[in-house]
Parts: sequence; C-alpha cells; structure tokens
Amino acid sequence: MPADFMQWFYSKNNAQHGPVSLEELRNKIATGDVESTDLVWKEGMGDWTPVAKIAELASPGTAQTEAVSPPPPVPAYQQTPYQSPARMEVSPGESIPNYLWQSILVTILCCWPLGIPAIVFAAKVDKLKASGQIAEARAASAAAKKWTIIALVSGLVAIAIYIGITVLNFVHMQNQQNQIRGEYEQRIELPAPR
Amino acid sequence: MIGRRVALVVLLGLLAIPAAAYLYYSGPNAALLPGCLLHRLTGLHCAGCGMTRATYEAFHGNFGAAFRLNMLGAILFPIVLVLCGIQVFAWLRGKPFPSLSPAKWRLGWWMLGIILAFSVLRNIPAWPFTLFAPH
Repeated sequence: MPADFMQWFYSKNNAQHGPVSLEELRNKIATGDVESTDLVWKEGMGDWTPVAKIAELASPGTAQTEAVSPPPPVPAYQQTPYQSPARMEVSPGESIPNYLWQSILVTILCCWPLGIPAIVFAAKVDKLKASGQIAEARAASAAAKKWTIIALVSGLVAIAIYIGITVLNFVHMQNQQNQIRGEYEQRIELPAPR
Repeated sequence: MIGRRVALVVLLGLLAIPAAAYLYYSGPNAALLPGCLLHRLTGLHCAGCGMTRATYEAFHGNFGAAFRLNMLGAILFPIVLVLCGIQVFAWLRGKPFPSLSPAKWRLGWWMLGIILAFSVLRNIPAWPFTLFAPH
C-alpha cells in the first residue's frame, strides 16, 4: 500500500521529471517512455539508479519493453547523470546540508535567542527538499547557515566583550589600589625625614 | 583546501583545550567565564542556562548534578556534539555525510518545540517546573 504513494523521479535526456507515483512510472516503463537504462530516484535512495536494477520496477512491464526494444546504451547521455548527480540543476539526490545539529549547538551553547531562527530554517530544509522544492530548500539551508553563524559570532563577541571588561576592571582596581597605597605611603613617609 | 580545513579544526581544538582546563580547575564561577548575557539582562533562564556549571560537574564525574542543572542540555549536548563531530569529519573529507533518516525534517520541528517548551517551563516559579531550573 504505502509503495503506491511513494514519489519517483526519473531522468530523461539529462532533464529531471517527476514526481510521479509508482503506478505512473510503471506505465511509462511499459510504454517505453522510460527505458530500463534510464535513471530513477525516490526519497530514501542513495543515488540515481537505472530502472533495470530496481526490483519494484523490473516487473512484467519492463520485461515487455526489453523484449520489444533492447535499449542501446547512449554513452553521452548515460555518463552525465552518473558522474555527478549533484551537478544537475535540480537533482533531488543532491545533498543540501540542513545545519540542524549546528544550530541546536549554538542555541544551547551561545545562550542566544538568535539560535532559534537557525533551527526554524534548519527544520524546513529536508521537507522542502523531499517535496522537490530544491531552490527553496537551498535558500532555507543558506538561511540556517547564516543564522547559525550570526548566533555563533554574536555569542563569541559577547564573550570577548565580557572578558575585556573583566580584565579592564581588574587593571583599574589594581591602579586604584596602587594609588591609595601611594598616597598612604606619601602621608607616612613625608613627615619622617623632618 | 582540505589541508587548510584540517589546520583550522586542529587550531580550534588547541584553543578549546586551555578553555576546558580553565573551567576544570577554576570552577564555573571563575572571573573570566562569562555568565549568560540574556540572564544578566532579563533574569530569564534560556534553554542553555546552567550548561557551564553542568559541564564543570560532568568534568568532575558528577553526572547527576549535571543532569539536574540542565536536563535537556545534559542529554542533548553530548548527542549534538557527536553528530556535529561526524559532520566536521565529513567536511574535512570534502564529502557530505549521507542523511541520517529520511524523516529528519520532522525531527527539526520536534527539536524546536522541545527547546522552546523547555525554555518557557524552566522559568515558571512553581514546583514541578522548578526541577527544570538551573539551581
């Protein structure tokens, strides 16, 4: 049952299509629209895989297609998606960092409300990516990174300012003590020679 | 590129050692350790409040005390540290780490909800919630 709701993407002439349901994809394979050497992908798969290598799809439909027309491998086409699926403009297999753990780390450590927007954007990334909104997912990823850095830097700046003030305070107190001691010594020492 | 990344991580690691040693020997109330600015300005306990003290206690083997100071942080911090460490390692290799779970986006919202709820609850000055406060 759940297999029917899974969203498949397929690659044809270096362009990505989909998402389509398993049923639709099977139909396309049966009609020869998608060939058994074409690459397909769905959420959860590590990389783009040829149709022929997926058990779910290499069903009666595929066998028929193969019997009708044994698909000749087209080298130029087959190489490109294999070499680097990440280079394709909208490849759902592309890894888009979500910065979730980094944003949680800065929220806990830097003790700044600025970490919250970082988590919000981080939480958005994977869902956008799963629904095929790659540009939006990239934007959310970039925003999560930006806010993580803002939280981290402002946390570090606050720490630096704090340490600076502490050191200045210490020096100031030291000076004051020396001054008081100096005045005190003067008061005692001055009358002594006379 | 990769060499520069390794150098950066090693440098940060070397900087972290004296900071950890200072916390270990001088205690969480030492002069150079900054308190939380948010707490100083507003008096509120945010989600990370008590983490310096909790880390100090954990350094000295008092994990129970660390847990009482910040329940969420004591659980989440080691996990997040390991996961971030894995990502740093992947970054050093120049190859992204494969996603840990396909339903991770849900985890993000859960984390956000838990952290926000914890931040609110630990500021309520009544009994069951005072257990969350860093005292």
